[in-house]
Amino acid sequence: MLEAIGLIKRYASIPAVQDVSFTLQPGQVLGCLGPNGSGKSTTVKMLTGLLDPTRGKVLFDGRDIHEDLAAYRRHLGYVPEEALLYPYLTGWEYLELIGTLRGMPRNEIEKKVDSLLALFSLHPHRHASIGTYSKGMRQRILLIAAIMHDPEIFIFDEPLSGLDVTSALIFKNLVQALGRAGKLVFYCSHVLEVVEKVCTDVLILRKGVVIAHDSVANIGKILGQSLENTFLHLVDDVDTMRVAGDIVDVMRAA
Amino acid sequence: MSTQLSQTRWEKYRRHPFWRLVELFVERIFRGGGDSDTEGLDLGIGLVLTLLAIPGGFVSILLFDKYGSLLQWLRGQTHVDPLLIAFPDEYFFIVLAMTVTGAVAVWRWDTIFPDRRDYMNLAHLPVSSRTIFSANLTAVLFLVGLVSLDVNAASCVLFPMVVTAAQSKLIFFLQFAAVHAVGVVLASVFTFCAVFSALGLLMALLPARAFKRVSGYVRGIVVVYLVALLCTSFAIPDLLRRAQAPAPWWTFFLPSCWFVSLCQGIRDRANSAMMELARLCLPGISVFAVVALCTYAIGYQRHFVRIAELTEGPAAIPTARKWRFDFLERVLLRTPFQRGGYRFVWKTLLRCQTHRLILTGAGGLALVLGSQALMKAFEDAKSLREAALSADALSIPFIFTFLVIIALRIVFEIPVELRANWIFQLTLDPDRQECEPLARRIILLSVLPWVVAPTFAAYLYLTGFLIAVLHSLVVVVWAVLLTNVVLIRFRKLPFTCTLPVFKQHSIVILIAFSFGFLIYAGSTAEFESSALLQPVHMLSLLPVAAIAWYIPRYLNNGTIDLEKKLIFEESATRTVEALRLSE
Repeated sequence: MLEAIGLIKRYASIPAVQDVSFTLQPGQVLGCLGPNGSGKSTTVKMLTGLLDPTRGKVLFDGRDIHEDLAAYRRHLGYVPEEALLYPYLTGWEYLELIGTLRGMPRNEIEKKVDSLLALFSLHPHRHASIGTYSKGMRQRILLIAAIMHDPEIFIFDEPLSGLDVTSALIFKNLVQALGRAGKLVFYCSHVLEVVEKVCTDVLILRKGVVIAHDSVANIGKILGQSLENTFLHLVDDVDTMRVAGDIVDVMRAA
Repeated sequence: MSTQLSQTRWEKYRRHPFWRLVELFVERIFRGGGDSDTEGLDLGIGLVLTLLAIPGGFVSILLFDKYGSLLQWLRGQTHVDPLLIAFPDEYFFIVLAMTVTGAVAVWRWDTIFPDRRDYMNLAHLPVSSRTIFSANLTAVLFLVGLVSLDVNAASCVLFPMVVTAAQSKLIFFLQFAAVHAVGVVLASVFTFCAVFSALGLLMALLPARAFKRVSGYVRGIVVVYLVALLCTSFAIPDLLRRAQAPAPWWTFFLPSCWFVSLCQGIRDRANSAMMELARLCLPGISVFAVVALCTYAIGYQRHFVRIAELTEGPAAIPTARKWRFDFLERVLLRTPFQRGGYRFVWKTLLRCQTHRLILTGAGGLALVLGSQALMKAFEDAKSLREAALSADALSIPFIFTFLVIIALRIVFEIPVELRANWIFQLTLDPDRQECEPLARRIILLSVLPWVVAPTFAAYLYLTGFLIAVLHSLVVVVWAVLLTNVVLIRFRKLPFTCTLPVFKQHSIVILIAFSFGFLIYAGSTAEFESSALLQPVHMLSLLPVAAIAWYIPRYLNNGTIDLEKKLIFEESATRTVEALRLSE
């Protein structure tokens, strides 16, 4: 079980995340929603141990993750928001590097990398350098790197960006399958329909504060609306129709 | 068999996360770096190492002429002390070792430390931050060793062979080679440690944003220093040989003097000043190595470990600096393409480190050559006026304009983030031939005001109005003509086209520019020096100017329309073109 207890993060006294708490049980897929600057990425970085919280802690199976960060990270599969890879390595070399750094046995690395590359339709390109890959291909490499060591916890930060329709569908089904397999999944996204479809629970952040945390079904029921309308109702004070109209006006102005 | 064995052994090592990380960092130092996702100019480690070894080998071979016993005999040099005549050459090799190693350190400056890419890929893995630190340090130490050996490999073998060719004793060769190797390798290690210390100190002392801003200028200063070291390498040995203790103050700022003194000291050939300088070598290396190590550790803690904090924290909102282009737009930049292009080119030049470094290098070279010319001008002159009218002094503005114009022309060819050029491909009309006028305006506006204004002011004060006007006029006309020459068939928006492919005539162009420099800066100044005393003689330059103006114009006019189109990709010229008439 993964627990976030009263997470607070301040940058030079400016709060980025304030008192975020939640629990992630095995089999649960928790979606994290929020507009830009709501504290999603900061929360993700605290969950992965990349950032130390100013206050509060993250517990994995009852132990603070910072007590033995390396041990915690062995159970972690993380897909970052930005696919910043080494462009001069080939896809295969990159995955082999990650497998080695994770301490996976050689034969297991080779077997898994080959199989996963084939399943993600990257096998023909495995010996091409990543510099030549499209955004979607890089994203698939990141996904393989996150799952190849069979972790317990999955943290996905905008994992669908750049993926084609088929890969995105595969990925959505994969997330559900991971949930069914008893894994813990924390899923950050802007795409509300995907969160609605693949997540069991939703955490909505606004200006670093949790404004809603419940199951997807319950949130919809409470407000009697779809997740998109609920999100807009809770998060955005902006009249989107009016802003769109204003944009057109500015565009057409001489 | 042994290669296979060592490969198997390495395969075993690289299964260990630490050694795999070392391998990754070595590869990153040579091939990667920066935030760009494209591969960039990847020469491969083997080619880079070969290129680094070439200067030492090349210079050694050129020295055969000086040390060949037959040639010495033909020159009447029957009793030659090889150690004595090898002194200036050894100094040059030490300077060469320092310059090439320093250039590598400056070139790979951004990749020496782990960066955001490493953080994004490695920080969330079960690898401790201490392991990443040690692995990167090991990779850097490996790089120092490899580059120091590689840069000097050819000179350590060939130069002693050349020097001792006329000697019959093998021991003499071995002793000379060993001492030479100690000198050049230590000089390389020293340079690397010194550059690394400068980088580490900046990282340790400055906040991340300030470091990024300042690092470009510091790299520029290092480049200028290295160029100055290289350009003065022909004059220093003689001064050093004549020096007596206490060593002159300037030798303390030239570590190359310390290392050549060390070599002389080991050979028991050092004078009192050299003995003093030789003692600085090992403490110098130790101090810089310790500073580099400490500041590396502090910089790692401050920058790498805290990358997540630095990227997530509230960004400082930069205040917009408004550049006023109104006057230029009204007078010089008349079309939307020129206005947009002018701003784009200037901002790229000022903000892109590679381009800034090349321009700084050219500026540094101009500064060094200009200073040398100025010193020579004052050497024999009896008055300021006489010095100002000497060919050396008159050549200074020509040196600056030539080198900066050529450097600008070269940097125009180096692309920046090619994937972003789609906006120009989409918006510019390829048939409107505005690239050349734009490039000409940029070159002339970036060179002439800074060169002509001080030249005119100085000559107005020293020689009077007429000579000041005439000299400035020649500088302007020559700059315009050179710009026309370098922009023959120029048809690209600077920085938006792929790198030009190597063509057979590229070497000819390179040699032509070297000779061009001698004519442009040397011969013109020589002519001016005599003609300015009787200004009517200056009219003799008119036919030369007319020819230099006509040739580029003729070549441009002779270009077919297809070859005038704006391009974004350089394609190789085929030797044989298939006409495919049947298709």
